[in-house]
Amino acid sequence: MSSVGAQIKRGSAELAVLTLLAKHRLHGYEIAKRIEEQTGGILRFDMASLYPLLHCLERKSWVKAEWQTLPNGRRRRCYRLTAAGRKQLAPLRAQWRAFFHALQSVTGFQNA
Amino acid sequence: MPECAEELAGHLEDSYEAFLQEGLPPDVALQRTMCQIEGRFKGGLVLQLLKEDIMIGFTRKIALPGLLTFALAILTAWALDLAHVQPKAIFLANGLFLPIPIAWLCLLPFCGAAGALISRRSGGSLPQRIAASLFPSAIMVAVLMLILVAGFAISLFVADSGWNWALAVPAVAGWMLSYAGASAMCLGLGAGVAERTRRTRATAI
Repeated sequence: MSSVGAQIKRGSAELAVLTLLAKHRLHGYEIAKRIEEQTGGILRFDMASLYPLLHCLERKSWVKAEWQTLPNGRRRRCYRLTAAGRKQLAPLRAQWRAFFHALQSVTGFQNA
Repeated sequence: MPECAEELAGHLEDSYEAFLQEGLPPDVALQRTMCQIEGRFKGGLVLQLLKEDIMIGFTRKIALPGLLTFALAILTAWALDLAHVQPKAIFLANGLFLPIPIAWLCLLPFCGAAGALISRRSGGSLPQRIAASLFPSAIMVAVLMLILVAGFAISLFVADSGWNWALAVPAVAGWMLSYAGASAMCLGLGAGVAERTRRTRATAI
């Protein structure tokens, strides 16, 4: 499996995290695990990149974090998308869609 | 534990368990887990921990919510006083009486709940939330003990000060019971209800 460049990963990280949090309330480990599973391992977050991103999104008020006690009795800081974050998601998705369409017309790549 | 440390510790815990579930032996799972903290991230993490640890946790999670709870309790007492709602008095021997501020005690659970909620919003753990809600009682105990100590000091150095231990100790004990002990119970009750409501809502979600 070929690796995806670091810059491409960085740019898409925000979109991936916001999209996931739009559907679920998740803590950091779950976010990383789901993204890795759903992308077949192409997008993989380590702690050094995930938590700074989450805290950055929190500072922008796009996500909100709250401590919750999970059914297994452990305390985890769970993130959810805020209304402001939800407003950001649609234009972000549109930008990436336009980007991929543009790339597709130049390279001739077809969707999988 | 500082918040960021607790968050990252949780991530590492989940990582370790995932490695164990994949069938890795514990020592290999631990090694792989700890590899996630390395280099620049480790340095940055240590600095962040120090920054968070230096009194920010105590101030945000206990002291400020506690002071707000205390302010609410005082405002409540003042409002009741303005409305001429007086505490009941139980008269004891030797001219002493035990004040029972029933109305104030009935309103204190709301103050306790507010303190616990404010502490929770700042990320306070359960003991920190309880400490924040019981802050007014702690202040009351401290003030009453100060009165005893001050009285003791006065009686030592000032002749004919009028300080009467036989009256002072029972009086302070009575105030301790009603204004500190009973108030702690009411504040704690409010904090308990707030905690239960939060858990019920979290389960419902």
